[in-house]
Amino acid sequence: MSAVVELIFRLIPRLLPPSLQSWGEAAIREARSATRPGDALPFALGCLSWAVGESIRFRFSKLKQQGEEPVNLIDRIGPRSVAVSCGVGATGLGLIYMSAGGAPAHYLMINLAALAFGLVTLGILVLADRRGHLPAGPLSLLLGLVLLAVSLWGVSAGGVTRWVALGPLVIQPGMMVVPLMAVLFARSRDALSLAGIAVAALALALQPDRGMAAALAVGMTVIAFTRPDRRTIGAAAAAVPGFAAAMAQADPSPAMPFVDQILYSAFAVHPLAGAAVVLGAVLLVLPALAARRLTGIDQSACVVFGAVWAAIIAAAALGNYPTPLVGYGGSAIVGYMLGLVVFPRRAPEVGRSPVEATSEPDVDRPLLYAGQP
Amino acid sequence: MTRSRTLSPAARRVLAALVEAGTSGRHGYDLCREAQIKSGTLYPLLIRLEAQGYLAADWQIADAPGRPPRHVYRLTAAGFRLADENPLPAGRADEAPQGGLV
Repeated sequence: MSAVVELIFRLIPRLLPPSLQSWGEAAIREARSATRPGDALPFALGCLSWAVGESIRFRFSKLKQQGEEPVNLIDRIGPRSVAVSCGVGATGLGLIYMSAGGAPAHYLMINLAALAFGLVTLGILVLADRRGHLPAGPLSLLLGLVLLAVSLWGVSAGGVTRWVALGPLVIQPGMMVVPLMAVLFARSRDALSLAGIAVAALALALQPDRGMAAALAVGMTVIAFTRPDRRTIGAAAAAVPGFAAAMAQADPSPAMPFVDQILYSAFAVHPLAGAAVVLGAVLLVLPALAARRLTGIDQSACVVFGAVWAAIIAAAALGNYPTPLVGYGGSAIVGYMLGLVVFPRRAPEVGRSPVEATSEPDVDRPLLYAGQP
Repeated sequence: MTRSRTLSPAARRVLAALVEAGTSGRHGYDLCREAQIKSGTLYPLLIRLEAQGYLAADWQIADAPGRPPRHVYRLTAAGFRLADENPLPAGRADEAPQGGLV
């Protein structure tokens, strides 16, 4: 029996719908029983054409059963995978831009390493969350205190203190933790989370970091409007003045090549490089827009995620602040991946009852939705 | 809507082969050879006939040791009636198309 025939025999069961599997097996056995030389291949090819036809019919009938709506990507591979793909895509587009612009090779390597680190850390967060070991309140407070420590004792440049030196690397913790804190608060609006947001707002005002302060203020304002209660309004009341305080202070940071102002400068490198940067920036908010199509989940955290990243991009467009993921800088890449912990792994099935978002916080509730594998 | 029972020449040839086989039945490979139709045509036809109650498909243990069971197809009573109602066109019984088994 030739390798081609054996390949066809393997394809036929994959193509046929479940109801016709026994017929496929019967057809394969007939082909194996062919007594005349040369009969097996044409017999197998005929069966393959039948299986292809049945496969197409089966898939069309499934689409009809699903209300004749085409199965979209987010339903097929899940909201989190789509969001991760957007982050990876934006990072890749950034690498293209930096390559075209002649960026040092280690810039590209650092962004790639940050992507790998972000993905691994996201995996750890998801695992911890699934097992209920990711308490949002204490974690938010801890992250807020870390930001405050950076503001007080971090690396300074030009009167601004927002970095931490890790050996040869200088990272920007605000870019890493603010998006995560915002989405954690959207999920679990408990007292400790509120305290963490207040500390973070203070820290960003002290640094000062207008970009991240804006991101936090926008995120908290969005959640206050979509889920108005005492704590969300309190968080907005802490974050917005923090942003105002940051704006009131001078921020003389100069534009760094491949980091700041690249939404404009990339077009000077090459129109395609500019297009890559703009497309990468758009990719960053796509997951939140796509999540809005999903029913059966609490979309607050996904909306806040989109709002925070839109604010970070706007800050990069308006001032000398890092352009996330598409520019040089691993902190944004890691921060983007960490925030994706709030995206559900799978799109909810039709008819599955969601866990209702309540106005009362639940400290011990896992971040992801019940019923999610 | 009443479904037309007018069958294609290929279906009539398959029915004729199954009538000739009687209660012993035929395997798919043999039906392809006898009715001179492609396997890609045969199986959809067999599936339709079986679904409509004209055909019985059973796994038959092979005579030779070590060979896997094969499907054997037999007409039901309704299938024999269908074959009677749809004989091979006069003068075309031996005009099976030439060609391979595909």
